[in-house]
Amino acid sequence: MKPKVAFFDFASCEGCQLQVVNLEEAILDVLALVDIVSFREAMKEHSDDYDIAIIEGSIARPIDIDRIKKIREQASILITIGACAHLGGVQRLGNQWDAEANKVEVYERHPGSEITKGDSNPYFAQIKHRAVSEIVKVDAAIPGCPIDSNEFGKVLVALLTGKKLPIPDYPVCVECKKNENICVFETGGFCMGPVARAGCGAPCPTHGGECEACRGYVDHPHTQAHGEVLKKYGLSPDDIMTKRTMYNYRDFEDKGGD
Amino acid sequence: MKIISKQDFDAFINALIQDESLDVEGVKAKGDKFVFGPLDTATELRLDYDVTILPPKKYFLPQYETMMHFDISTGKATAPAMDTKKVIVGVHPYDLIAIQQMDKYFFDTNVDDIYLQKRKNSLLIGVMPAKASEKAFYGDLMKNAGTPELHFDLMVTDLGVLYAVLPGTPEGAQLLSRATSRDAQPQEIEAAKNKRQEAIDRATRGLKVGPKAWHSLLSNNYMSSIWKEMADQCLACGSCTLVCPTCFCYDVNDEVGLDLNTGVRTRTWDGCLLRDFTKVAPGEIFREDIVERYRHRINRKGKYLPESMGFVACVGCGRCSSQCVPDIADPVNLINKLAEATMDTIPDTNMGHVPEKSDLGIIASDSLYIPRTATIRRMMKLTKTETFFEIGLDDGQPLGHVPGQFVEVSIYGVGEAPISVSSPPGGNTFQLIVRNVGDLTNKLHSLSEGDKIGIRGPFGTGFDTEGMRGKNILFIGGGLGIVPMRSLIKYVLNNRADYGKVMILYGCKDPSELLFKDEISQWENTPGVEMHRTVDTCAEGENWDGQVGVITTIMPMVTFDPLNTIAVVVGPPIMYRFVNRDLLNMGMPEENIIVSLERRMKCGVGKCGHCQINGIYVCKEGPVFNYKDIKDEPEAFS
Ligand SMILES: Cc1cc2nc3c(=O)[nH]c(=O)nc-3n(C[C@H](O)[C@H](O)[C@H](O)COP(=O)(O)OP(=O)(O)OC[C@H]3O[C@@H](n4cnc5c(N)ncnc54)[C@H](O)[C@@H]3O)c2cc1C
Ligand code: SF4
Ligand code: SF4
Ligand code: SF4
Ligand code: SF4
Ligand code: SF4
Ligand code: FES
Repeated sequence: MKPKVAFFDFASCEGCQLQVVNLEEAILDVLALVDIVSFREAMKEHSDDYDIAIIEGSIARPIDIDRIKKIREQASILITIGACAHLGGVQRLGNQWDAEANKVEVYERHPGSEITKGDSNPYFAQIKHRAVSEIVKVDAAIPGCPIDSNEFGKVLVALLTGKKLPIPDYPVCVECKKNENICVFETGGFCMGPVARAGCGAPCPTHGGECEACRGYVDHPHTQAHGEVLKKYGLSPDDIMTKRTMYNYRDFEDKGGD
Repeated sequence: MKIISKQDFDAFINALIQDESLDVEGVKAKGDKFVFGPLDTATELRLDYDVTILPPKKYFLPQYETMMHFDISTGKATAPAMDTKKVIVGVHPYDLIAIQQMDKYFFDTNVDDIYLQKRKNSLLIGVMPAKASEKAFYGDLMKNAGTPELHFDLMVTDLGVLYAVLPGTPEGAQLLSRATSRDAQPQEIEAAKNKRQEAIDRATRGLKVGPKAWHSLLSNNYMSSIWKEMADQCLACGSCTLVCPTCFCYDVNDEVGLDLNTGVRTRTWDGCLLRDFTKVAPGEIFREDIVERYRHRINRKGKYLPESMGFVACVGCGRCSSQCVPDIADPVNLINKLAEATMDTIPDTNMGHVPEKSDLGIIASDSLYIPRTATIRRMMKLTKTETFFEIGLDDGQPLGHVPGQFVEVSIYGVGEAPISVSSPPGGNTFQLIVRNVGDLTNKLHSLSEGDKIGIRGPFGTGFDTEGMRGKNILFIGGGLGIVPMRSLIKYVLNNRADYGKVMILYGCKDPSELLFKDEISQWENTPGVEMHRTVDTCAEGENWDGQVGVITTIMPMVTFDPLNTIAVVVGPPIMYRFVNRDLLNMGMPEENIIVSLERRMKCGVGKCGHCQINGIYVCKEGPVFNYKDIKDEPEAFS
């Protein structure tokens, strides 16, 4: 019996589900391994009978909490995909302000915005953004914004064959160097690569960008030494903060920031 | 030496590019830097470069390299197909020296056939540097020290409007015969020589201690506070090792496709600055502190490889310093700092980083990495976590091991793990006792009798059974340490007359972890064998007739003449410190203590670098060591 898989989305852009759709031909191999019973982005049918739940998106509303808990009860394996589910996503930056202020910022200027006010409408009631693992147990988190389709396949294989997850605990610089890139620091940029968890293949510095640590940090990031480097290369304390919290506001909150 | 006009040289390179049987790689621009890459036309070639981001080691030990293709259902592995012959154009002398070092390393003791194949399949066209990069110091390493003998197929020197080209091998000369050239005149030979000298003089940065003296400088400064001062700034990003032409460490991984059946075993660059480089299954990290890792790299270059391979593993390319973001990786800066702190300046100690010219005629006897197939003949659960396996090689050959050696057990799609052989030599099968702690060991536990696995080895040094002859033997085993020890115990008991008194002390956590219960009671009842066992803790009401307490509590129960007794100590890292201390206090000479040490292993054959204790490769020089030889290695028992 092939395990049944269902996809669920929470607060997200659905880019990660798109990455799964983007597996293209390999999707047929995936379908040989599992039955997808629910996948809003790729099919109409939906079933509540599944073994593996794949979750995209962060937990943003009280109703999300109930929903993710129900999913956890049903699923024997729960996998999260993407930075939103793994870390809370960029939307977690909103945790700096209170929910009502955020709503005003987002909806005030629009007609009909009254319905967003207060907590009475469950679709707009807000809590602080949370990663899925802060609410329920997560068996495997595939990091990244968006996830890498290749890594999705690898994690699936590891889970189905009972191996440890093939997600490395070394920094992005390792993969960046293997790609023979000119270091972003040498071209006037600022890079989170030295503290970010590799596994993505360092696409951002490889294509002329900066790593923003969308995959979160390695287990033991040398944050202080990295901060010194950012400072030495001319980044102000505020900018360092912005850089660090873009995807890793969770880390900031975990360490007691608010 | 030949002379070629620049135009003819371009035509020569273009002709090589046109030749379908060749893959021509050369130095090209990437932004304002340079890289080696495939050449589409000679005009891309930038022989005026200073340094490339990555060294040409990537051609011989690629960033990601397929070691074999496997099919899980058939249990078969095949070597990857041979690449097209490569011509690599524009290798600077320091990188040629690094390749010579690599040759020496990968050909030493166990010839790495995957490396050798790539190496034999390439021609190297060197070029004298026209510029030095800001951080290069290869000149410092060679100043006033004569001309190193370099291995190249052709060496190009830019003489302005002309190139001087010197063949270094018959293949090089043959290649050169495709170019329009003429013999060089004496003044052109002289000019080329001057260019060489200029290149060396240009790349100097005031290194205060020559490479040959790095060994003593580093030995004297192992505990220097400079290491910590530098390491505090370190990102542990690994860049300094990855970009270094003389860093060769690699990791091995199995990748299985979505068909869950076919896949590849690959190796990829790893490095000692990365945190999990020395991590073993229970979670212990042998070089956990960044200062240990930071210090290891420089010591490997200046002290460890000079000891084991005879060369200083730095060629002065400057890549590590230019690519270390906090700028703490520069060997010149570090050596000078150490030298200033100790006021050591040791002149005339240059070179020492150039091994003899490589012999590419060397033959690899067997595939170093493709395992032999073997069958699980018998399986028996010993405890909750340990299972006994009896294995037979499918070719019917005995393993041919000596007590103390280990094998690499391989399961395609999962990986490999080093496991000690627990049975004595002889017979057509051998025995392993495996604790399930991770991927490979879990998978092994899920197999059944009749299932196939792969075996490489036996590897490593065994116990010196000859040297122990006529002596009393005191076995002290903790936990799984009894597993490799059992091979020797059985050997000694099989050859009882050759040895004196036999004493066996065995300790484990609690009674449920005790291995070989039947054999132990047999040993207990063998005349001339004194056996004591202890557990760290014993729950109320549990059936246990041995002692309770750590292993050192039962050591006073045996009496022996320390001068005529060999102690064989095998156990978890923490045990050695206490047991060895007590043995020494009892008056046992250091050289009478034999230990077997465990470190993370990947290759088992002295190449991947994971198992190092300081400069000692445990897989090759161990796992069995005489305490006297290893005790001064700071990482051995720390
Ligand atoms: C010389 C030697 C002899 C050994 N003999 C035995 C034995 O007789 N019985 C036994 O049960 N165990 C033995 N071990 C330990 C055994 O090798 C590890 O438990 C095993 O490698 C774990 O592999 P894994 O894939 O299950 O775990 P994972 O955590 O998945 O390990 C992944 C890989 O890391 C490396 N690795 C992890 N832990 C170790 C380790 N402790 N030592 C070396 N490499 C490691 C291996 O390459 C392994 O495949 C020995 C180790 C050494 C070095
Ligand atoms: S992780 Fe990024 S790509 Fe994935 S859903 Fe969230 S925002 Fe979109
Ligand atoms: S660009 Fe970023 S990831 Fe790449 S080496 Fe530099 S710091 Fe590391
Ligand atoms: S390079 Fe950095 S930002 Fe880009 S995908 Fe990888 S972790 Fe994310
Ligand atoms: S240690 Fe640095 S300078 Fe020396 S060879 Fe390696 S990268 Fe080049
Ligand atoms: S020394 Fe520099 S390059 Fe090396 S790991 Fe530390 S920060 Fe990275
Ligand atoms: S060098 Fe690879 S295990 Fe020793």
